[in-house]
Amino acid sequence: MTGPGKIAFVPARYGPDVIGGAEIVLATLAQGFRDRGWEVEILTSCAVDHFSWENVREPGVTEEDGMTVRRFPAVVSTVGAERAVIEAEIMAGRPTSLVDQQHWINDGMRMPDLYHHLLHHGADYRAVVLGPYPFWPAFAGAQVVPERAVLLTCLHDEPYAYLDLFTPAFTGAAGLLLLSPPEHDLLHRVVERPAPHALTGCGVEVPGTYDPDGFREKYGITGRFVMYAGRREGAKGWERLLEGFARATERRGLPFTLVTMGSGEVRPPAGFEDRVVDLGKLSTTDRDNAFAAADAYLQPSAYESFSRTIMEAWLAGTPVIANAASAVVADHCRVSGAGLLYDDDLELEEALVFVAEAPEAAAALARPGRDYVLDRYQWPDVLDRVEAALLEWTPA
Amino acid sequence: MRILVVTPFPPVRDGIAAYAVQSVKALTAQGHDVEVLSPGPSAAHHHLQLVGPRGAAALAKRVRAYDRVVVQFHPEFFYPLPPTPWAWAAESLALAAAFRAAREVHVVVHEIDYLDSRPHGPERAAGRLLWGAVDQIHVHTERERADFVRAFGVRPDRVRVTDHGGDFTPATRHDRASARVSLGLPPEEHVFLSIGFIQQHKGFDRAIAAFGALDELEISDGPPARLVVVGSARQGDAANVAYVDKLRAQGEQTPGVDLRIGFVSDELFDRWLVAADTVVLPYRSIWSSSVLERAALYGRDVVITDVGGLAQQAGDRDGVTVVADDDELAAALRAALGLTDRAPTGGSAAWPAPGELDESGGSDLRERVQEQVRTRAASRRRGGPVTGATPDPASLAAAAAATAPLRQLHPMANPSVASASVGAGLLKKVVRRLTAWQYDPLLHQVNALQEAAVRAVEQSAVQAGPARAVDDTRP
Repeated sequence: MTGPGKIAFVPARYGPDVIGGAEIVLATLAQGFRDRGWEVEILTSCAVDHFSWENVREPGVTEEDGMTVRRFPAVVSTVGAERAVIEAEIMAGRPTSLVDQQHWINDGMRMPDLYHHLLHHGADYRAVVLGPYPFWPAFAGAQVVPERAVLLTCLHDEPYAYLDLFTPAFTGAAGLLLLSPPEHDLLHRVVERPAPHALTGCGVEVPGTYDPDGFREKYGITGRFVMYAGRREGAKGWERLLEGFARATERRGLPFTLVTMGSGEVRPPAGFEDRVVDLGKLSTTDRDNAFAAADAYLQPSAYESFSRTIMEAWLAGTPVIANAASAVVADHCRVSGAGLLYDDDLELEEALVFVAEAPEAAAALARPGRDYVLDRYQWPDVLDRVEAALLEWTPA
Repeated sequence: MRILVVTPFPPVRDGIAAYAVQSVKALTAQGHDVEVLSPGPSAAHHHLQLVGPRGAAALAKRVRAYDRVVVQFHPEFFYPLPPTPWAWAAESLALAAAFRAAREVHVVVHEIDYLDSRPHGPERAAGRLLWGAVDQIHVHTERERADFVRAFGVRPDRVRVTDHGGDFTPATRHDRASARVSLGLPPEEHVFLSIGFIQQHKGFDRAIAAFGALDELEISDGPPARLVVVGSARQGDAANVAYVDKLRAQGEQTPGVDLRIGFVSDELFDRWLVAADTVVLPYRSIWSSSVLERAALYGRDVVITDVGGLAQQAGDRDGVTVVADDDELAAALRAALGLTDRAPTGGSAAWPAPGELDESGGSDLRERVQEQVRTRAASRRRGGPVTGATPDPASLAAAAAATAPLRQLHPMANPSVASASVGAGLLKKVVRRLTAWQYDPLLHQVNALQEAAVRAVEQSAVQAGPARAVDDTRP
């Protein structure tokens, strides 16, 4: 299949040093479309860090990875006090007026120049692929070019999903790309008649080889360890995981160190600092080797729309222990048969004890995970599905 | 040319914002270098709190950098509340200074108070100074132009009538069939649509009442029809929320009314227009209407009330029906369905001719007229009778008498946060925000209880019949 047009992908941040699932998926999709002959542009911010949104790159146009990259300043012009108050109301499940919902979305990072670029040049693109839905660039961009807007929704079962603010995008975009069957179910719970949508899934790179010993040697890690990779922040369940892991380790004398990589502050509990190793941002190769070296991968987030990291763990033959509150991750674990789920700290503790005391059984449990990933989530197959959907939804 | 456009702007939902974004697009397409400044954070390049003289002073510092400043004007963007004469005058003078600091200023007036009740007040004089500082004033109808020139003494050649929808472009690619599927509307029904911010002055309750009157006429022989009311409260204040609640209650009582309250993007707005057969704009007051223009983009029939500049704006366009009052509104809906015009039953019957009333004179006349007033109002209060069957006029009048003490209570509302002092107003807003979670539910519950009590008393009065109800409510 060859690309018949110009397409824009709109990750909020773009570049090799960016950490964030949706950003990586959008970037990889862009590169895949580039390889298929589409004229691809990346429309993104000058920021790398999604906490500060500091503009560390120059605004303007560059050629990167064989694509035109247009960077626009990320604007944070308020202290976000109103957003914080309204966010608390939303997260508490209180009814939030439409006026407040609009204040909430506009009282954070914005990209006005991106909006104006789409306003004046949106018609140049056959499709504009944006996401995830609660980010201002996706919310605002989808309103400028609704007939061309394809939303990588990354829907989680979270309070934001039910805000009226997002209904027009969920029902009026040119199309919605969904990553998992639970996300599809959720979409139909959130809106009665969604826009055209396709369950495309998400691709995962399959490493050719792993070098777990090389990883241990390079980073000086000698004993057994479990790991977490991604954003270390409350929204991802990181702090709760630290507490649960510390308690389980104390109570059951677990042999594991918790090795972690990614962005955000680690902040282990007092007295537990030597059991947590923060490797910061790793290369793709080192990350893959870390997965292979680990006894288990921990996924504490309740808000996952796909979870590439559990796929990477399974590709490396490593079992997954995951928060059952994420419908998506729970579905992956149940269907693959390669992951354990926990609903509370005691269940987390028992799962960790299982991996500690029965490593061979744990490895056997992980084994079907690799086939699960290879059968469903390889990039060429995902790109076929995404490309077919875009050609159907957008005007030639 | 470097142009600064001062306006509310998307993705904040606002009729003027939707107007402005299309204007910005057109100016840019003409080759101008356009920047946008909005009253709050949005997709505009800049944002600035514009209310009050300090806002105008801050604006004055910005405008010098541009060749032209275009202001999308609505008083609430600039004038503090409450609108005391001196505060109003001070703001006008501050804005005049800001406009004089600019090289060239164009103002598109979407709404303004002509201050006709105080023709010699300081605010009127300050208004003349303000508008004298503007190079071009744009309005959308000749009537607005004439009123503006009269009120502010502006040279007529500086007030221009511009086409309200001149820069408008379609925002959806749906056709009627796909729009209806997407919105859950059956393909065969005649869809009446009232859409926009839900505010008392938009009069959507009048559309529901008129639609309810169709049911009284037993239109089952006509085509199936529904009235869809789409929109949201523009501001979350108690008065607007109470009005939304009122519409909800009225809608629940009126078969065929479909309320869709929620966020409406530009695309969704147009999708609704495409899906509709007849757009109903029963405004109580308005200057001009973007909805009228957007409906024209898709060739939809429109029923408008003869208020403000609407009729002039519509001109002699095909498919536009101008109505003077609620009876004509109901007749227009009937006509849209191809039904012959029949007088509705019950309280909506035509008034007797003046001669007929005079003949019987005296206190009997007053009582008959009073009863008619009550009956008509009761019939219309919720778009029709409160029970399944049509009650007789005497029962309706009795119900009106029974519910009067309850209806005389004004809906409970939060005290205004507006203050002549900026600091006090800010403090009130903070207090309001901090306590809203506690008080708003109570306030809504009180108003809901009042509405429910009215309905309950009304229903029992109608069921009890005229004599019993009257006995119960009169000592």
